[in-house]
Amino acid sequence: MRRLAIGLLLLFAAACAPVPTSAPDITIGSAGAPKPADAAEVTAPPSSATAAPACDATASLRPDGPQPSPGAMPAGSTMDKIAARGRLIAGVDQNTYLMGFRNPSSGAIEGFDVDMAREVAKAIFGDPNRIQFKVLTSDERIPALEKGDVDIVVRTMTINCERAQKVGFSTVYYQAGQRVLASRGSGITGPDSLGGRKVCATKGSSSLTNVANIAAKPVVVSVANWTDCLVMLQQGQVDAVSTDDTILAGLAAQDPYAEMVGPQFTQEPYGMGIPKGNEDFIRFVNAVLERIRDDGTWTTIHQRWLGVLDRNATPPVAKYRD
Amino acid sequence: MGQPVGAAEGDPMTAVVTTPTPHRVTGLVKSTPGRLSLIALLLVAVSLLTGALTGLSVQARSAALEELATRSEPLSFAAQEVYRSMADADATAAAAFLSGGAESPQLRTRYEADIAKAAAALSTATGESARSPEVSAALSTLSGQLPVYTGLVETARTHNRQGNPVGAAYLREASGLMRAQLLPAAQGLYRAETANVVRDQDSAGGGPWSELLFGLVALAALGLAQWYVTRRTNRVFNIGLVVATGLTLVSLLWVSIASVVVAGTVSDSRENGSSQVDVLARARIATLTARGDETLTLVARGSGAAYEKRYGEVVKELGDLIARGKTLATEPAVRDAVTSADTSFGAWQEAHRRIREADDSGDYTTALGLAIGNDQSGAAAAFDNLDRDLVTAITKARTAFTGSVATARGALTGTVAVVTLLALGAAVASVMGLWQRLKEYR
Repeated sequence: MRRLAIGLLLLFAAACAPVPTSAPDITIGSAGAPKPADAAEVTAPPSSATAAPACDATASLRPDGPQPSPGAMPAGSTMDKIAARGRLIAGVDQNTYLMGFRNPSSGAIEGFDVDMAREVAKAIFGDPNRIQFKVLTSDERIPALEKGDVDIVVRTMTINCERAQKVGFSTVYYQAGQRVLASRGSGITGPDSLGGRKVCATKGSSSLTNVANIAAKPVVVSVANWTDCLVMLQQGQVDAVSTDDTILAGLAAQDPYAEMVGPQFTQEPYGMGIPKGNEDFIRFVNAVLERIRDDGTWTTIHQRWLGVLDRNATPPVAKYRD
Repeated sequence: MGQPVGAAEGDPMTAVVTTPTPHRVTGLVKSTPGRLSLIALLLVAVSLLTGALTGLSVQARSAALEELATRSEPLSFAAQEVYRSMADADATAAAAFLSGGAESPQLRTRYEADIAKAAAALSTATGESARSPEVSAALSTLSGQLPVYTGLVETARTHNRQGNPVGAAYLREASGLMRAQLLPAAQGLYRAETANVVRDQDSAGGGPWSELLFGLVALAALGLAQWYVTRRTNRVFNIGLVVATGLTLVSLLWVSIASVVVAGTVSDSRENGSSQVDVLARARIATLTARGDETLTLVARGSGAAYEKRYGEVVKELGDLIARGKTLATEPAVRDAVTSADTSFGAWQEAHRRIREADDSGDYTTALGLAIGNDQSGAAAAFDNLDRDLVTAITKARTAFTGSVATARGALTGTVAVVTLLALGAAVASVMGLWQRLKEYR
């Protein structure tokens, strides 16, 4: 009877179960590497730098009188507030090799921009280590300055008229230019051969705007950090990366199969971003830049990080609007 | 056989057998012996049918218990393990990155153990057939993307060892994959398998309503037969029918008592076991999520406000879950473990406050030391203690669950056989009882 009961039960179960009509196929979900978080194809062109009225953005404020010595900032000045806090808060990058990156073996943040920021800390405190780094993506630089989260941004930031309306800039501390990075043998020779190809740039960077404006009409892919572009290039998710030669040199140094191609097709003057109201600090930073241009510090730092680009580079000449 | 056709026509009995007509059948019902025969047939049918249906119900209950013990609960646990080990692997990979340099052997071992455990738990979860489409989708995501995840982590590791900062970007991509696809799939799997546990508990622990109904119908049929026989034969009791009634009653009582015992122990398994396991498992998952967010806030180095915000939310949920776990705890061992977990949770909160204080005031090195260092008052130690306490509590609650389900299965042992035998006995007794009366009409 128990067997009968089980038999009946099985019979019921068999009657209820759907009869498969065909042999099931093996289906797969998504194959291949995932996209980095926040990676997206840009469909709407970003606001162009040329949209802002023409200006002389690279002309900054002239240093004002003799530079105060470290530890003796004028009372009530922005530098005095920073000195009272005990550290300079600098917005930097930790993903751009050579410019601002986290050294994987020590965990320390290093690079050309970082050394530049340390020079400012040294001028205030007499100690280049009195500095707190806040890591910012390209997109976060201007909001961080506007909200006053950071005292200064030293992060491959191109001076342009659109940005100059929102934040203050120091004099030019490095003159970069945009180029193209592609895999060896990809057939890409420069900006003109990018038509229809996928080109990576970070969100909120001037490079992204420049890529979108290339006449050959590439497909623009935006990501959060420059190393995300290298990941996507290595995984075949994009065909090329286009940004300043400084950044591309850092990417190329991590991948022997990637090479910079074509000419510099834009001029990218780098400035240190400072909240617009802090004019005393802009003048102070410009005085620091004057000193390091003259005493060879700039050349030493350049040789350390960007010697691969140009052994004989000289610091850009400062321009002032007083 | 071999009988002349003419002879057959002369014998009325043979005629009934060979050429039955509707008229003859109605005639059978109209006469008392005919009715008695029909009643006997009906009683046999009712007894056997009641026996079969009751047996099937008990069998279904027993099958649900077996499902609970051997499939749905182990699968739900496997799903929880899949989630836990993957989340732990991700948090460990992030911590290894933070520690700088070649990662420590401990963290590497922990990561490898997590991946091995995730794969093993996944194969347990995948090895079962007949699942719902949502479970299939989750499983296919998990088994398809886990190798992709480990591939990205290994690429990140290689770059780290060569000093290339792009390693961090590979790790971010891996972590993004984990958070966007793998963990949600594991969570979906866990939800589906936990729902199966509840479903099996419902079907195993429900009231014996259908069994009661069948039993009462059989008793009513026997009662009616008794009434008819009493009226026709002027004898108050028919021994056969009384015995049949008694056997049916015993069967009904047996099934009812067994079912009530099962319902009670299944309810115990819920109260002392699965509902506690669910709350504790969710607490454990929240612990891992919070730990991941704490680590990633430091990885982001100053721009991790979104992670810190999520940490705050998850920790609030975690506090609630631990409090609920304490309220639900029915056994001292579980309560002790959860109380200890609560203490570790407090220590972790305190460590986290100190981490944020140090990081926000620019002392990154101190913050890092508190977060991933081996210091006993640090976040890493508190996190490990909390996780260990939750594991202890979950193990104890699972033991209570398994014990209750085993008791329930024990209560049903042999019930189907007993019900079947009693039904057969009732059928035989009814026939014998009515046969006594039928003989009087010969």
